[in-house]
Amino acid sequence: MSETSDPRELTVDARDQPSSVASDVPPAQVDWIMLLSVPGRAYEDAVAQIHALQLRAARRQVSRMREAAMFGAARREEIIHSAADEATMAVLARLSSFEGRSAFTTWAYKFGILQAGNDVRRAAWRDRDINLDDIPEQRQTVAPSPEGYAEGRDLAQAVRDGLREALTPHQRRVAVAVLIDEVPIDVLAERLGINRGALYKTLHDARQRLRAFLATRDFLLPAAPRKEVTQ
Amino acid sequence: MTNLESLTPDAIDRLTANTEPWLSCDDCFELVDVVIEALVVSSTPFSEEFRVHLLRCPVCREEASSLAEIVAADLGFSPADAVAQIDTALSGVGA
Repeated sequence: MSETSDPRELTVDARDQPSSVASDVPPAQVDWIMLLSVPGRAYEDAVAQIHALQLRAARRQVSRMREAAMFGAARREEIIHSAADEATMAVLARLSSFEGRSAFTTWAYKFGILQAGNDVRRAAWRDRDINLDDIPEQRQTVAPSPEGYAEGRDLAQAVRDGLREALTPHQRRVAVAVLIDEVPIDVLAERLGINRGALYKTLHDARQRLRAFLATRDFLLPAAPRKEVTQ
Repeated sequence: MTNLESLTPDAIDRLTANTEPWLSCDDCFELVDVVIEALVVSSTPFSEEFRVHLLRCPVCREEASSLAEIVAADLGFSPADAVAQIDTALSGVGA
């Protein structure tokens, strides 16, 4: 990281690189709040640098998403630049909430990453239907032992019963779509017209109800997370 | 899309997962820059609520991994190592 270069001398094009070159990043001691407090050349240069940070973040996010592979290079670039535009506006709108608990660049990157992720998932699911009705039947992916088969079949049946009996219709639709059909949470949130946080809370409440239901059927579930999600 | 045959063991695991202690996606977003930077710079372990949230919210986890990669690159660390640090932090080792 350069400690001496003037970040205002950097241009958007020069720093819009998908590389991990540390010298592309503005010095940590730049007072962004001060630069963005008064209209003028310094303000415009600072906004351009924030936009460059968002391009970098969006490009990084898109490059690691398997959903983005279905798009051509031109479409990916379109998503990256659109996300960077939106994220720059978000950073400027949220500037007063920056508390300095991380580097400004770290704080700013998360907006571009969030926006790019949302945009890629939204584009990938644009023409796909989302089934919000069905309760699934069991599908075995590995042949179990006779005992395991019986236990797995019983648990699966109990889960299906719980989906029907313990959850509200809204909780059931959300749980089936996100946790069974693996619809990305932000995609479903957009389809339902609610935010991602509200949807995750619905999932949390649904899981709590389902776990309580299963406990009444004598299925003992671990208190702590057992394994990582595979979605 | 049909989901009539898709109640797999993995789906059952996701449905019955414990998501306590609770952390919302909004809270995760507010914290992620501080938490990831602390992990990359000083291997600071995740709080339990942050760890559980990332384990159960694949979208937030993906975004945290992207942020770790880019922050690590800025600071001269290996992006791949930073993502591996997340895996370690999620396992609870050293927490």
